[in-house]
Amino acid sequence: RPPCALLLRGGLLVPCCYGAASLCSAVTGRPPCALLLRGGLLVPCYFILFCFQAECFPYPEISNEELEEINSFVAPVEKFFAEDVDSKRIDHEAKIPPETLNGLKELGLFGIQVPEEYGGLGLSNTMYARLGEIISLDGSIAVTLAAHQAIGLKGLLIAGSEEQKAKYLPKLASGEHVAAFCLTEPGSGSDAASIQTKASLSEDGKTYLLNGSKIWISNGGFADVMTVFARTEVVGEDGVKKDKISAFIVERAFGGVTSGKPEDKLGIRGSNTCEVSFDNCPVPVENVIGEVGGGFKVAMNILNSGRFSMGSAGAGMIKKLIEMTAEYAGSRRQFGKHLSEFGMIQEKFAVMAQNAFVMESMAYLTAGMMDRPGLSDCSLEAAMVKVFSSEGGWVCVSEALQVLGGLGYTKNYPYERYLRDCRILLIFEGTNEILRMYIALTGLQYAGKVFTDKIKKMKKGNVGVVSEMLGKRLGEMFGRSRDLGLTGTDGVVHPALADSAKKLEQNVVHFGSTVESLLYRYGKTIVDEQLILKRVADILINLYAMTAVLSRSSRSISIGLRNHDHEVLLANTFCTDAFFKNNYWMTQLQKNSLENQDENIKKIARQVLEKRSYICSHPLDRTF
Amino acid sequence: MNCARCLLRLQSPGILAASVRAAVRRTAQHQLSTVPSGITPHTTYSQTLRHFHGSTALSKSQAVPTDQEEKDKSLITYDDLFERVARETKTKATFNRVVDVFCNRDIRRRGHVEFIYAALKKMTEFGVEKDLTVYNKLLDVFPKEVFVPRNFIQRMFNHYPRQQECGVQLLEQMENYGVMPNMDTKVLIVQIFGEKGHPMRKFQRIMYWFPKFKNANPFPIPRQLPEDPVDLARLCLTRIANDLDSKVTVHQTPCSDITESGEEVTYPLIVGIQSPDQMELLARHNPERPVFVEGPFPLWLRKNCVYYYILRADPLPPDQKVELPYDPERSFYFPLQLDLDLDRDLGDDDSFDVDDVDEGPVFAMCMTSQGNQATLNQWISGLQENNPVLGLVPTLFRLEAGPAELLGVSDPDPGHGYRPGGAEETQTGAETEIVVEEEEVHPLSQRGKQ
Repeated sequence: RPPCALLLRGGLLVPCCYGAASLCSAVTGRPPCALLLRGGLLVPCYFILFCFQAECFPYPEISNEELEEINSFVAPVEKFFAEDVDSKRIDHEAKIPPETLNGLKELGLFGIQVPEEYGGLGLSNTMYARLGEIISLDGSIAVTLAAHQAIGLKGLLIAGSEEQKAKYLPKLASGEHVAAFCLTEPGSGSDAASIQTKASLSEDGKTYLLNGSKIWISNGGFADVMTVFARTEVVGEDGVKKDKISAFIVERAFGGVTSGKPEDKLGIRGSNTCEVSFDNCPVPVENVIGEVGGGFKVAMNILNSGRFSMGSAGAGMIKKLIEMTAEYAGSRRQFGKHLSEFGMIQEKFAVMAQNAFVMESMAYLTAGMMDRPGLSDCSLEAAMVKVFSSEGGWVCVSEALQVLGGLGYTKNYPYERYLRDCRILLIFEGTNEILRMYIALTGLQYAGKVFTDKIKKMKKGNVGVVSEMLGKRLGEMFGRSRDLGLTGTDGVVHPALADSAKKLEQNVVHFGSTVESLLYRYGKTIVDEQLILKRVADILINLYAMTAVLSRSSRSISIGLRNHDHEVLLANTFCTDAFFKNNYWMTQLQKNSLENQDENIKKIARQVLEKRSYICSHPLDRTF
Repeated sequence: MNCARCLLRLQSPGILAASVRAAVRRTAQHQLSTVPSGITPHTTYSQTLRHFHGSTALSKSQAVPTDQEEKDKSLITYDDLFERVARETKTKATFNRVVDVFCNRDIRRRGHVEFIYAALKKMTEFGVEKDLTVYNKLLDVFPKEVFVPRNFIQRMFNHYPRQQECGVQLLEQMENYGVMPNMDTKVLIVQIFGEKGHPMRKFQRIMYWFPKFKNANPFPIPRQLPEDPVDLARLCLTRIANDLDSKVTVHQTPCSDITESGEEVTYPLIVGIQSPDQMELLARHNPERPVFVEGPFPLWLRKNCVYYYILRADPLPPDQKVELPYDPERSFYFPLQLDLDLDRDLGDDDSFDVDDVDEGPVFAMCMTSQGNQATLNQWISGLQENNPVLGLVPTLFRLEAGPAELLGVSDPDPGHGYRPGGAEETQTGAETEIVVEEEEVHPLSQRGKQ
């Protein structure tokens, strides 16, 4: 059952990885070439890579019929966004005009993933990602739609009962009703313990009375159906009453729901964000999503499943930006040369192309893995996609603006709007900092399960383990080649990318031993070492990105896609870049490394925060 | 720029001096023989002057007349001069007048060393001990160029030791009162004693250390303490608490009232401080365990001592410490704990800290002008408004008899801050100074600051 997907992962996934060789061939009909499996089966200490699920190779594909289907959706949406959406006006008036919203509804974009039996389009994750590329061209519309279906009605989709689905989904899918997701409160961002909204059962036991207020609710001003999380009293197994969180479907029509003034925001100004208050709002008991007291898992699943499309959205935006800025760079002349002939301008385009390529590869790999039967939980991968693409998107938009110089800074061009709009990507759906914690800790939890016994033996001074360890270290020192089976005769990576694959393998092996030593040093207290966790997360993101580009471009060469040589070039450049970055981060993670400035960083922050101000004297100050 | 110009200007008199040197030397023999007859040397550009200055020092107690008009008194002591000029008022203006009188009386500035010593002693009386311009004016009393060594032998030996000593003494006093010399001081010293004399060395040392120490104290005390007792209490309490969130509450402003029976009742000042963290700590306090009101504890602010009281509890015995159980349904985004059976390696466990002593929690602090139980009880009931748990917890008063008369809030003269720690200091002064230092690292305040 979907609400338990995350738990499944811990319990189910590890054994399934052991047996994944057969599983993999059964599912795909191809030889089991997954990097992680290989690493896992051959060299037990590289189990860390179970984080990347078994199926990064080959790159997921969709059938010809599906491709035709998606293209038939894409064309009208593209036309609509090109002709009927006036982003400048939406941004300026801070409102999406009703006719634009109606157009979106007619295209079915309010129910992309709602099954067809409930009146939605019933598209797969991959196709949703494809549509996201176009929708992202207007940040306000993208956020409105995402708040509606990626989180607003997702609770119904993944945990709602048949009756609830039948009652609400048709209207939501048609866009007649708009959904919102109400979790954040003034005192509670990611801390469930500080949720104050209460739902108390009435005396007849038929309704809950909802009291409290939620802030920063996208679509909060006009949503008709809301997924609201509130505390309910639950009698635990031991008979003790406890407050636990439950999820409710709340209709505005129930009464007692008031919305505040829309927030005036930096970007995505056309989307409606406001406070929503509930004052003795009566909610029938049958509107509880999942079980009473099971709201925490519902919230977590909704949040985890809503992120994967951000990669394709970012890629779509950057691809559009490249077109626009390339035209300018090709036409403007300075010193008798086109801008495009200057190295520093060229570099910006390379950065944009590379970022778009990596984002796309990661996004569609993740979406494809999510669409595969069996393994549905890809929240870790989705989080990595979100972090990478939000930060890459920010850099690229800024670079695109820079190409135009002062012109880009004016409101005559859309760049400043893109810049403002895409800033939210780093913040919502879990800030990047929080997601890095999630990525690193989830990875370390897997690794910990594998390494614990060995580390314990080592700490006890088991000669066998220690000498094995020493041997491994020596081997690494003398550059023993590490072959995880990506290349070679049975390899899954095309020979044109062999060098990059070797780099990935080398990184993976090195990362395995780095994680092992981190666990040896910190054990479970690593939870508090945020600077270390940040690097672990960054390395994991890079490794996943390298895997994704290798997988994608191998496929492209093999089936002869147009311009696959450009893909190879991008993949090799990115992998080399990421390889050196990873090496640097892993050096920082070594004990007593010179590159590691953590102590200084913490000290600076402590001294500043103690005084809550910048404490240096002014450079013009004198003592005599 | 200014300095360079001054120093340049110094070079030319040096050349001038060299040209007259020959002439002066010729007359030196003559002057030597004429000393007993009372004729004073014509010019100061002479090394032989050393004898005369030496002799004035020796003849300090002898009533050698130097001034035609005041033959009896002038040299007995220069203190007298100060006393006579400034009979009514002792101000900077009168002090300056005395210096002017001395300078104008004799173009040769005879007896200037004694005069400067006397003036240094009198400075505190005139309230100018922290005034740089006065020190510069005093330094200006020294005749220029005379004591500048002019060859390597003079430079090697202690040239005009008494004068140099006097100059050093002057700088020493400046140092003790925390007065930072300026460029004028440097120019004067160069003019008087040359570029490498002892006073110059002293000057350089001062200029090396003073700026370094000026901002060394991370918790500077204002030079002028607030006069208002409420403001003073606010300053002290925020200084000890060192939590930017903590809130000062004036529970009662001092006032006096006359009751119906005609008795005069004075209400003492009560100022308290408490931070939100402390309130939370107090709210979680087990009501069965008592809290204590303790004090008075002294806090030194420059020359003032004030007293404060704390509300605290004993540290929890180890068996009563409860850690909040891990709630896996707490964080929506990432696990707050790892399910691992591995602890931190010893090599990376740097949690051991000798300063980390298990002390009881301090819940609030207050200052009052009257440290008796009734007043402190008022404070506790004032605290109870925001800390309802205080109504349930038994409160014990552990008060020591505090020297109430030393309360800084009633100190009539809280202004004078710096107390010199020099050799001339009296015993009590030195003691106070030490106490001040100890108070700075009082465990309570220390804990707050860490």
